[in-house]
Amino acid sequence: MPKALSAHSNISASPAFMQNLRDIAEITPLLVVLLGLFGGAVVLGILQSFGYAPWFGINEFPTTQYFERLWFSSDFWVSLGLTLYYGFAATLIGLVISVPLSIALSKKFKSSRLFGALTRLPLMVPYTVGIALALVMLGNGGLFSRISAGLGLIDDPSQFVRVLKSHWGYGIIAVYVWKQVPFMTLTLSAVLARKGEDTVEAAMVLGASSRQIFWRVTLPQIMPGIVSASLICFAFNIGAFEAPLILGGGYPDTLPVLAWRYFQDANYAFQLQGMAVVVSLALVSGVFLGAYLLGYRRWERARGRV
Amino acid sequence: MQRTKPLIRQMLLASTLAVVSWSGVAQAMNAPGVFRSEFLKGNLGWEDVTARAREEGSVNFYYWGGSDIINLWVDQVATPALAAEGVRLNPVRITATKDTVDVVIAELAAGRGEEQGSVDLVWVNGENFYSLKQQNALWGAFANRLPNSVNFEWDENDPRSLLNLRDFGVKTGFQEMPWSGEQYVCSVNRAHVSAENTPATFAQLKTYLEANPGKFTYVKPPHYLGNTFVQSVLYAHNPDGTGAEPYQKSFEELGSVELARLMEPGIEYLKSIEPLLLGGASGKPRYPENSGELDNLFLNSEVHFNCKFGVFGNHNGLITGAYPEQAEEMIFPAGNMIKNKNYLAVPLNSPHPAAALVAINYFSSVEAQATKLKTAGMPVGLDLWRLSEEEAAEIATSAPPHYGVTQQQLDDNIAPDTNASLVDVIEATWLAVIERKEDKPLADIVAQVSGELNN
Repeated sequence: MPKALSAHSNISASPAFMQNLRDIAEITPLLVVLLGLFGGAVVLGILQSFGYAPWFGINEFPTTQYFERLWFSSDFWVSLGLTLYYGFAATLIGLVISVPLSIALSKKFKSSRLFGALTRLPLMVPYTVGIALALVMLGNGGLFSRISAGLGLIDDPSQFVRVLKSHWGYGIIAVYVWKQVPFMTLTLSAVLARKGEDTVEAAMVLGASSRQIFWRVTLPQIMPGIVSASLICFAFNIGAFEAPLILGGGYPDTLPVLAWRYFQDANYAFQLQGMAVVVSLALVSGVFLGAYLLGYRRWERARGRV
Repeated sequence: MQRTKPLIRQMLLASTLAVVSWSGVAQAMNAPGVFRSEFLKGNLGWEDVTARAREEGSVNFYYWGGSDIINLWVDQVATPALAAEGVRLNPVRITATKDTVDVVIAELAAGRGEEQGSVDLVWVNGENFYSLKQQNALWGAFANRLPNSVNFEWDENDPRSLLNLRDFGVKTGFQEMPWSGEQYVCSVNRAHVSAENTPATFAQLKTYLEANPGKFTYVKPPHYLGNTFVQSVLYAHNPDGTGAEPYQKSFEELGSVELARLMEPGIEYLKSIEPLLLGGASGKPRYPENSGELDNLFLNSEVHFNCKFGVFGNHNGLITGAYPEQAEEMIFPAGNMIKNKNYLAVPLNSPHPAAALVAINYFSSVEAQATKLKTAGMPVGLDLWRLSEEEAAEIATSAPPHYGVTQQQLDDNIAPDTNASLVDVIEATWLAVIERKEDKPLADIVAQVSGELNN
């Protein structure tokens, strides 16, 4: 029997082996980029955060002083709080807008295609343009403040309510939401299109109200789309630095801006401190995203879907 | 046959050696680093340099590209002039000089040594020069060995040579060539501030702000414009009344206790004006990130004053529309208007070092400096007393106008820059005291930040 088995496996080994080879060949380009460039940068970043930078004449590896200095200062935790606040607020507001929007767009109405195309417009515009728009429109030297001053509502433009440059981050959140709503809507629309109208119609026939249909039928069905879209947006939001740098309220900064400030300093010793910030941020973001995914899996399992 | 081959080889080798030793460097010139060592030893004449520059063909000039009028001068005046000397100028416009310093140091760390880098020439001063020097990333002492070096004062016995020999207190060691001399000048918007209300001292500024809260702010340190404002505050509030003098020493010479004592009154002043700055009334003073942001605040009447490096900054602001129409220069802070020079340096791994030297020589010419002054509003970097009368007259007629003050008044209120090793400590102290509001004795803060800087 064992002999026969081995003979059998020998015959089938060849195509399976070829298939494996083909799989490896197919993912090699991705692996090279991921392990070589991204992985190399991560390893280098972690090494630097532990004091390894002989090219600047600094080699204290392994030292935890950069992490200690960071984690034992209250500033770091304030910065972390701000980072998470902008990330969460923008993602939540984005979801609240894009879930009804995608459902509305999934129905045919007059000029619905034009409307859909219009909502996707910000996808093609870079973040920096959105930031510039926010500055031009909402800043204290912006159009709204000047119009208000021109109309005599305020004495001079600087008295206009501070939308930007405040720690409430209205400007930052506005730019994130403006840019991410089309992305979330697109993702959700794809999920909605795939699931079709059958279940909704069935619920209607059975006498469900539109509210019941939304909460009991549509929302659970588009949950995978919601999770993936919000995951991507949240991960971006807490790692992005240009919007908080330009539109934020200054000190205390978000973590990416803090890291950027360290990197910008002419003193190279600060580069290692900046790496410690980046590594801490990666840790935090990894923990949050992991917990989110885990929670979602558990929820799906409880519903018996996975 | 088998015997003659090695013989021929030997003869070839011997003759090569003879040629090399006889003509000095002509044969081996193309090996990396030979041009540098031979030039630094003084074995090369200027013709050798220009000949090699034409061979190299181009020069990569990395410089801050945030000013349209400077970019125009580089493209329309400098590029054709250098093309006539057989060198193609390749301008690389950057947003921050630090980025270029990063490139050079990263390349050197990656093993791209002499003549294998990408930066030939960089516009630099202060901390960035200090970084390059500290990392041994500079090409060598060339600044006193170019034909146009005669336009500068290099005699150490003449105190006026200090701006050429020291960059933020750090010895230049001839490793960079002065390009332009700038002064920290404030402008005032006459639409809001009359001549008699214009402050000339920090105390008067405070009085003005008490009457007009929120109408002033300065660029946030560690940006060099913010650092410079803080330095002038410290000079003016020096408890010994010696102004900039003790700030010329290095941190090692001065010590943290003495530095803290000198800084105390100035830091107290900065704390006391915080509520009077832009946005300070709401408890959150707003410090702009860079000069562009401050220009916008000034243009928009959100602030009444704008302080930056630029002897002709006011003129440039008016012709580009970056300043409000009634902007005028002011003498502030009297006697403490910091002046320094900025320079052109060659990194160690410059791929076209000879072309870089030729370019620097051109940039140091009276002709280049005069056109740069005229079209780009950049003050000359060369020393006027070294020039002939005609040359000095050419510079004088090229100078853009001043508004509300005279060149003489600006010259009368000059103060030197702060030693680069102190600048680091001062900016870190500002961040701790003003930004993070750390409530500790100043001496402790200075000791702490200097400790963090030195490891």
